[in-house]
Amino acid sequence: MWIWILFILIIIVVLLILIYVGYYNRIIRMENRIDNSWAQIDVQLRRRAELIPNLMETVKGYMKHEKEVLENVTKARTALMSAKTPQENIDADNMLTGALKTLFAVAENYPDLKANQNFLNLQDELTNTENKIAYSRQHFNDSVLAFNNTIETFPGLWFAKRMGRKTREMLQIPEATKEVPQVKF
Amino acid sequence: MEKKLLVEDHIRRNKQLTVVVCTLMALLFIAVIFAVGYIFFPQNLLIPLVFALPIAIFYVLVTYSFSVQTVLSAAKARPANPQIREEKLLIHRVEEMSIAAGLPMPKVYVQDSEYINAFATGKKPEKSVICTTTGALRKLNQEELEGVIAHEMSHIKNHDILIATVTIGVVGAIALIAEILFYSMFWGGAGRGRKSEGNAALMILAILFVILAPIFARLTYLAISRKREYLADSNGAYLTRNPNGLAQALGKIKQDYPTTKPKGSKTIAPLYISNPFKSTSVSSIWSTHPPIDERIKRLRSM
Repeated sequence: MWIWILFILIIIVVLLILIYVGYYNRIIRMENRIDNSWAQIDVQLRRRAELIPNLMETVKGYMKHEKEVLENVTKARTALMSAKTPQENIDADNMLTGALKTLFAVAENYPDLKANQNFLNLQDELTNTENKIAYSRQHFNDSVLAFNNTIETFPGLWFAKRMGRKTREMLQIPEATKEVPQVKF
Repeated sequence: MEKKLLVEDHIRRNKQLTVVVCTLMALLFIAVIFAVGYIFFPQNLLIPLVFALPIAIFYVLVTYSFSVQTVLSAAKARPANPQIREEKLLIHRVEEMSIAAGLPMPKVYVQDSEYINAFATGKKPEKSVICTTTGALRKLNQEELEGVIAHEMSHIKNHDILIATVTIGVVGAIALIAEILFYSMFWGGAGRGRKSEGNAALMILAILFVILAPIFARLTYLAISRKREYLADSNGAYLTRNPNGLAQALGKIKQDYPTTKPKGSKTIAPLYISNPFKSTSVSSIWSTHPPIDERIKRLRSM
């Protein structure tokens, strides 16, 4: 008789431990996924900032009379380089996206520039990094949503509390840029 | 939120189904070996067990480990060349979609063909390949290409590619065995000579089984492949948040009638985004893909 009660107790304890381990691992994995997606965004933001000086060098000779357009791009790049928090980074990147859009629109008026192989290449590369940023941002928010759902619903709620985990912030995307996740291809 | 959970549930069910179907395929393959053994040596079933089974298992393992190369060479595909702008842009779109899906970057291949088409292959998401035709690169704009790549990326994420690749291997192997059997009976009469030793009815049954086995294998696969196409369409639209790109691409595929015949082997047809050997919009039990019009309709209503 006692043997049986002991046996059942052991099973219950083992089950509880297994559930705890399962949830612990799941929460840690989800957190790592969020951190990893942020690292992705960061890599792309740096890459984009590195491409800008090249672009400026190529464009300078052709667009002598578009000082303001060029200055806006440089300003946005500086903001991006000095941004610290994720949201600051994203805001600076949105500024840069806007400035580049103007630059590429203005470039339409310079047939010589448009035929420049280097310019074409940079345009492709910048479109690529811009899309990558948009998609890693999307993946970041998806990951945050999945994480928050797990730790805000029962029984994840209880485990998260024990582990001292709090919900994460999603990246806010301004209304104006929401419409254009991809610059014209 | 609901959508997200749904996607993960689907992936889990897909994984389970993959195991079931792969097991069925393996059993079918072993059954074929036994049937062939019976046809040639009806008096002694130990002979196929001792000789054919190890060979069969070896063959399956080899097929499995070389499946990706087999598919790529059947399609006559080559790695994408970043020096060519169209192919560089393809690599860019694949990079973007792998980020959106949170998957490692697949290898990118190109198949020289006038037709608009694409496929994904590989044994697991970490080691996958995405291949498009040069026709697709030339005729689709970047938004449409992105939709197509998102569809293929969803196949990778949903673990659809292994099952498709395994089916192709097993169907190919069984078809080969059936063909060898047919010719050896026709020319050598190996089985016929000994027919008095076995049960004639059972013999005919065994022969029929070997001939019909590739059809069983295909039907097993077809039962799930069409559903997975719809799923990959909707998951792809979820990745790009833009169902329009894929819908437009499918519209172009439908209108696509190049003058040359499609290249490559017919066995890999189930892998493609749309069947390269059929242009009808009628659904039949043999179609690997649901009708294009229905797919477009579902995408447009998202």
